[in-house]
Amino acid sequence: METYLQITSVWGVYLSIAVFVAGMAWRIWEWSTTPRSPIPLGMFPKPRTGTGRFFKMLKDTFIAPQSFRIEPWMWLAAMAFHIAALGAFVGHLRLIHEFPFLPSLLGEAGMNTFAAWSGSIAGVLMLGAILFWIARRTTGPYKTISVPEDYLLLALLFGVVIMGDHMRFVYGSIVHAATYREWFLSLLAFKPAFPVELTSSNVAFSLGTHMLFVDLFLIYFPFSKLVHTVGALASNYVRSE
Amino acid sequence: MADATTTEATELATLAGVIDKKMTRQLKQYLDLCARCAICKDACHQYVATQDVKYLPAYRAELIRRIYKKYFDKTGRFVPALYEGRDPDENLLDELYETTYACTGCRRCMYFCPFSIDTQFILSVAKAMLIAAGRGNEMLGQLADAAIFKGDNMEMFHDVIVDGFKDVEKEVQEITGDPTAEIPVDKQGADILYVALAGAHSIRPAAVIFHEAKESWTLSLFEAANYGFFFGDPVKARKIADRFMDEAVRLGVKEVVITECGHAYRVAEIFHEAWAGKKHPFKVTHVLEKIDAYIKDGRIKVSKAIELPITYHDPCQIGRNGGIFEQPRDIVKAISKDFRDMTPNRQEQWCCGGGGGIVAIDEMNEFRLKSGMKKVEQIRATGAKIVASPCENCRLQMEGLDEVHQLGVRIAAIMDLVVESMPLKGRDAAKV
Repeated sequence: METYLQITSVWGVYLSIAVFVAGMAWRIWEWSTTPRSPIPLGMFPKPRTGTGRFFKMLKDTFIAPQSFRIEPWMWLAAMAFHIAALGAFVGHLRLIHEFPFLPSLLGEAGMNTFAAWSGSIAGVLMLGAILFWIARRTTGPYKTISVPEDYLLLALLFGVVIMGDHMRFVYGSIVHAATYREWFLSLLAFKPAFPVELTSSNVAFSLGTHMLFVDLFLIYFPFSKLVHTVGALASNYVRSE
Repeated sequence: MADATTTEATELATLAGVIDKKMTRQLKQYLDLCARCAICKDACHQYVATQDVKYLPAYRAELIRRIYKKYFDKTGRFVPALYEGRDPDENLLDELYETTYACTGCRRCMYFCPFSIDTQFILSVAKAMLIAAGRGNEMLGQLADAAIFKGDNMEMFHDVIVDGFKDVEKEVQEITGDPTAEIPVDKQGADILYVALAGAHSIRPAAVIFHEAKESWTLSLFEAANYGFFFGDPVKARKIADRFMDEAVRLGVKEVVITECGHAYRVAEIFHEAWAGKKHPFKVTHVLEKIDAYIKDGRIKVSKAIELPITYHDPCQIGRNGGIFEQPRDIVKAISKDFRDMTPNRQEQWCCGGGGGIVAIDEMNEFRLKSGMKKVEQIRATGAKIVASPCENCRLQMEGLDEVHQLGVRIAAIMDLVVESMPLKGRDAAKV
């Protein structure tokens, strides 16, 4: 188990973060060094001012009202997933530092209950959206246009989320954020160490597997269609050029 | 044997190279970003009418994306199988021809796409690749070449064309009852250069309206239609538009006014400056913008002469892609008693199925009429008896739909309806 954790939750973390950061930087560099299309590609109606365009870009990217109008269920799944993923990301910031105010407001037990609820909701929403996407992608016209990349990403995401949910639902009341924080801060200090509460319990396997999927997901991220996280801002801006 | 394989590989790589030659930041992002979520599926009238995946916008773009992945994307070159990377071989080019020349370029898919991916722009690369492979649509290519030939050899055509205009001039004099009414050609210093289509139908009503509005105008010797644009060759397209753009510079006009035509307006207003790499020393407007202003400023008189229920179809290149939504509606409302808009309308208007040059491709006739299903439903739902639309291709398509589905509607150009609603001495006297 020690070796598994060493690979996925120590060296894997370092490697995947390095690849992710370098990969995204390379993508953005590639885009920014390719000359723009001389032809304006905007469509109407479009805002007259730069500020108007900027806000329309934000609206088109983060709310996508047109997509809602044409396919509400797909929009709902995508929104649920992205908001839950953002929530989960914010929740994971506790790995670095306990939230300010909240624990003193809720008390230690209250904080654990809050984390359990918010984490559970986010985890279930993400899982639901992923299952919806798997179902969608394996049927009808969606299946025909899908390529292995689509399935690989869904599989990696499924692994990340199912193991995250596993830790939330099975070990949520046993192992708390403070324990994981001890491990994560040790990584950040480049003095990797695992608290005994982790290594002495079966949660070590869950954490190791969660991290295995996270590592693979982050490594593949910059080389996949997931670059839409950054690129959608640019392409939606071009819409009102 | 080895030689044949090498030659073939070289040919494929050369064809794939078209993508690299056409590469821009926007194209790269469109190819990198698409999540294949297929939200665009029900945006495309051709997919909705046929339920055939090859017309699904994301799939049309996917054909180019798969070549891009195999040849130009670093990850794709490393593991092409992950993206189903493909060669631009015979099979792919066959498929590409159908999906690309069928596309009307309405960009309704881009409107609904959460990343605003411009499928038409990706398909412009597909057309360039087909042309490089000698598989560009022949009819569109020939029409483009004919237009360029006319531009290069104007001295051959000049007198014949002007004689034709004289015939139309006589009709205009009869309609207006004014024997001094004229169709000016080559008039130095006119305010407006009006660019019509081939044929009197787009000249006559405009000439009547300009005459009544006492406009200072001159008629272009060249038609606005641009088959180079449909064919997919920006050099040809530019040369075709250059013909009247150069004429406008030569005559020193203040404004180039494009007739009731969709793509010609988009080419002139949106694309030409980018192709030519310089700013126009004049404005480009659509003739309906002018007519709307004439009515609002009282320069021409119209009455609400149209009693029958009337609806308006937004041509994609004028509405969503050209930005003119309200002026044509205002004109139609000013001349009719029962205006009914289609649902959806304006930027969400369904494409009628006649854009992108498809009306000139005989082999796609049956498919084209089938793809107009949504438009038929929309027209029926309004209960209108007249469908007004300022695009010749839209009108051709909707006339076809009217015939096939027995809609019993009149498909009309807006200028014709305006002339019918104007008090005109000559015509009104002839009626009595």
